Amino acid sequence: MRWPANLTSGMKALFGKSRVERELDEELEGYVAASTEDKMRNGMPAKMARRAALVELGSGNAVKHQIWSSRWESALDNLLQDVRLGVRSLKKSPGFTAVALISLALGIGGNSAIFTLINQVLLRNLPVRDSRQLVAFGDSIFGGVAGGIDLGDFGGYFPWDFARQLEENPGPFQGIAAYGSFSNKASVRPPTVAGQTAPAALATVNLVSGNYFSVLGAEPMLGRTIVSADDGATGSGAVVVLSYRFWRETLSSDPAVVGKTISLNGAPFEVVGVMPEAFHGFRQELEPTGMWTPISMQPVVLQQPTMLLPHSGLYFLHIFGRLSAQAASNKTAFAASQNWLNEQVHAGVRATEGGTITPARQAEIERIHVPLVPAAQGVSLIRSQYGESLKILMAVVGMVLLIACANLANFLLARTATRQREISTRLALGSSRARIVRQSLIETLLLSLTGGVLGLGFAFLATRMLIAFVSQGNWDIAMSPAPNREVVLFTMGVSLATALLFGLVPAVVAARVGKRGSLNTSARTAHGGGGRGSRIWPKTLVSAQVMLSLLLLVGAGLLLRTLRNLENQDYGFERTHVLLADFNPKLAGYAPHDTPALHQTLLERLATIPGVRSVALSATPPISGGAWSSNIEPGGYRPGPKENMVSVLNRVSGEYFETAGIPIVAGRAITATDTANSLKVAVVSEEIARKYYPHGDAIGHMVKLGIDSVEGPWEIVGIARDTKSGNPRDTDPVRMTYIPLAQIDALMPYAPKTADGAGAGPAREENQDRYANTILLRTTGDPARVIGDLRAAVTAINPNLPLLRITTMREQVSNLIANDELISTLTMLFAGLALLLAAIGLYGVMSYNVVERTNEIGVRIALGAQVNTVLWMVLRESLVLLAIGVALGLPLTFAVTKRIEDQLFGLSARDPLSFAAAIAVVCGMTLLAAWIPARRAAKVDPLTALRYE
Amino acid sequence: MSAKKEERLEAEAKASDLVQGTLEMLILKTLALEPMHGYGVALRIEQISKGVFKVNPGSLLPALSRMERCGHVKSGWRATENNRRAKYYDLTAKGRKALSQETEQWQRQIDAIARILDAEA
Repeated sequence: MRWPANLTSGMKALFGKSRVERELDEELEGYVAASTEDKMRNGMPAKMARRAALVELGSGNAVKHQIWSSRWESALDNLLQDVRLGVRSLKKSPGFTAVALISLALGIGGNSAIFTLINQVLLRNLPVRDSRQLVAFGDSIFGGVAGGIDLGDFGGYFPWDFARQLEENPGPFQGIAAYGSFSNKASVRPPTVAGQTAPAALATVNLVSGNYFSVLGAEPMLGRTIVSADDGATGSGAVVVLSYRFWRETLSSDPAVVGKTISLNGAPFEVVGVMPEAFHGFRQELEPTGMWTPISMQPVVLQQPTMLLPHSGLYFLHIFGRLSAQAASNKTAFAASQNWLNEQVHAGVRATEGGTITPARQAEIERIHVPLVPAAQGVSLIRSQYGESLKILMAVVGMVLLIACANLANFLLARTATRQREISTRLALGSSRARIVRQSLIETLLLSLTGGVLGLGFAFLATRMLIAFVSQGNWDIAMSPAPNREVVLFTMGVSLATALLFGLVPAVVAARVGKRGSLNTSARTAHGGGGRGSRIWPKTLVSAQVMLSLLLLVGAGLLLRTLRNLENQDYGFERTHVLLADFNPKLAGYAPHDTPALHQTLLERLATIPGVRSVALSATPPISGGAWSSNIEPGGYRPGPKENMVSVLNRVSGEYFETAGIPIVAGRAITATDTANSLKVAVVSEEIARKYYPHGDAIGHMVKLGIDSVEGPWEIVGIARDTKSGNPRDTDPVRMTYIPLAQIDALMPYAPKTADGAGAGPAREENQDRYANTILLRTTGDPARVIGDLRAAVTAINPNLPLLRITTMREQVSNLIANDELISTLTMLFAGLALLLAAIGLYGVMSYNVVERTNEIGVRIALGAQVNTVLWMVLRESLVLLAIGVALGLPLTFAVTKRIEDQLFGLSARDPLSFAAAIAVVCGMTLLAAWIPARRAAKVDPLTALRYE
Repeated sequence: MSAKKEERLEAEAKASDLVQGTLEMLILKTLALEPMHGYGVALRIEQISKGVFKVNPGSLLPALSRMERCGHVKSGWRATENNRRAKYYDLTAKGRKALSQETEQWQRQIDAIARILDAEA
């Protein structure tokens, strides 16, 4: 019989156990009968013969057992038996089982949930060939357009001509490619189906260099990728590669899509390929990229052709490269690649500056360093934003799980003690210690694996909520809550590790119990007297729980206070009664020269909405993640060498300051009377006035801006209060310059230079910076209530004018501190859970101790002990554990919170309030959990207690 | 008769231990003669060895079960000469091969042992 046959007969035996049993019985009976007959033939009397035969056989059951254990299925059978026994004994104590399963499900589930995110955000490599060779030039985290900066500044911004040059001459790299540092929304019309024009949709488009896909080593699922030939002369190469998601959702997975034409911002593009599902591009944004087009198509996608001119001065690309195989593995070769890049950058900067460069500046250029950032996982905004938090959360849920483990270990220890007699009996009946340890471990495995399965379900729900939070209600995000293979493996691993953690000690203690072989009547006394080990363990575990709870509570306190500080700081504008709406007139087909009329209509129409006090338009909200900024030249101020003169800019309509609630501290605000025909005016923030005009004479000075389209000069007519404009954590006041929307020139100041730099170039372009993109409404009541009216009003003006996002000012701010909100809320939740678990644990241990000592307490009371004495006796024990836990926990907490200091705002990692509150909460919890068993002890009736046993 | 019983008891005392690892070979050899039931095997071994080896059911039956599992013997229910149902064991081809292998190996071993003992003497 080979193993399959062996397996089948084994399985048969396992499932037809009674039949096998019958056959064995029959065989044994036959054996005895044959033996008896034989003995009778030899002359033995029948009775004697049978007895002799039976004696020879010995115990029939023993023989059957031996036969049974000679087969492999017996091991499995024993295991099943243990499992059944385990299930039975767990069912016998449903309370314990429920608490154990819930705490495990929460503990394991929390770990799985955070791991699901960590796996997607931090661990997953790009689905491309040899992803380890990829490096980003600078961290490439943020996106946008910058001007007047050095190559690679601010985390890696480059202009098009420099990127092109590296692309053509990649030096020691296998290849160097570039892509747009931000993705654009474009209006897309899918191919016409059966003569019907499909409705337009918005899609996120990313511009990429022709060699983007080949340097990445990413293969298409259908068709081909963009190739270098596509990215030729400006305006050529109208091809597009679709993401899997866009292909599935907007084109219903059309298998014949390759070769069809879609319209992008009104221009026809040929679909040449579809990428596989796992590919999201080198840089993963919150909103997944829908399609890729060559940079040469930038005029259609961004509608700002000047970007692709040599020396445009616009830095809008990120660059990455593929290291040579040596550089990826060898430090010296890597350093050589790094040096090469820096040299290219230095040469590039020198070329841009032209003319004579001062020695100081020369030295400065030599110091420019654009780091090669390993990018096997690509670049992800989510990762840089949430990575740190996820790591902290992982540590937090890990600790919660540890506390849950300690609890279970304690419960199991207590059960072991009460099952001492059972164990002694089993040992006396010949069970091996290994079998008892196994039995005990199987019970814990049952618990932890069931807990793991429940936890996986819990994790799925929790991850959904977390992703919803991270994506801020925007479901179109490249993350999935569904557990994949890694997550399931992780959960299994955690469950097993958990089982070992909380199961091993009780199991070993259980097996040791029998050593004394105490089958005497007073197993309880035997336990009380003997088990130093079984007494020290529960207390150690409880102290450890107190310690971890303290740590979690302090951490939660610190993070919560950070959130409060962020929320309650002075933002400089009012956060109540303001509604913000993003809109994009460019996408709706408005040309720059249409904007004055549109703006006027909007202002007038929206002002009539009931409940709206004032209306304003601006380029960006008072605070937002992105910013429009440039260097400024304040008239009359002489900047130091290379002094940072960057100011955040905003172009606003009249009533902006009133609507946003930004007080004007001197001079006047920008009003509706500042029109294209009047003097160009600007309002600056207090910081600018303070810094450049320390004598208080800012008003009346002229200021020039570093962006050609809005260069100015502008006369300063007012000073506005300092506001926060970007990161709420920035404590330095932000320099702000406001200019009137209506005063921005209709045309660009210069005609674009032609490629050869001579001859009559094309005509001056329209100024693209005349658009407003934000509507602000100041309302009398709850701003959320005018959303409907706002939509209706805008639709009435033009049904094709999309309102992209509507938020209240309060939401806008809280979105910017969403990360802090997430981490502090979750840490608080988990700390609460940990505290609850620790309380249950302490309560359990103390109750058990009281039951254990009922006898002793009865004697004490009978001998005249006061109720308070007994109460104190029990409480004292808990307080000692508390004191130990806190004493050990404080240094630990100091050490650990030091490491999250970067995450804190407005307080130190040793914030006394957080520590005091956490200690108070832990003490309160301990007292409460200990008080109930102590009361019970004090109420012990001496008569009952003495009879107890 | 009583003498015979005594002798048998003595044999029992002496014969309780088989040489380690030979039980299966002996069973195989016994079954090579003809298919038989468990007791038949025990009896045959005892008879042929003239009472030197006595196999008790506690080791015989598990051994048979083990051998059935590894495919050296097969079993079936058949009527005995006394018209009683009994489980008969029969050698398989694989069992036959195992028997010849084991016999050969055993022979080599005892030859070797004999040579050593001779040399000693």
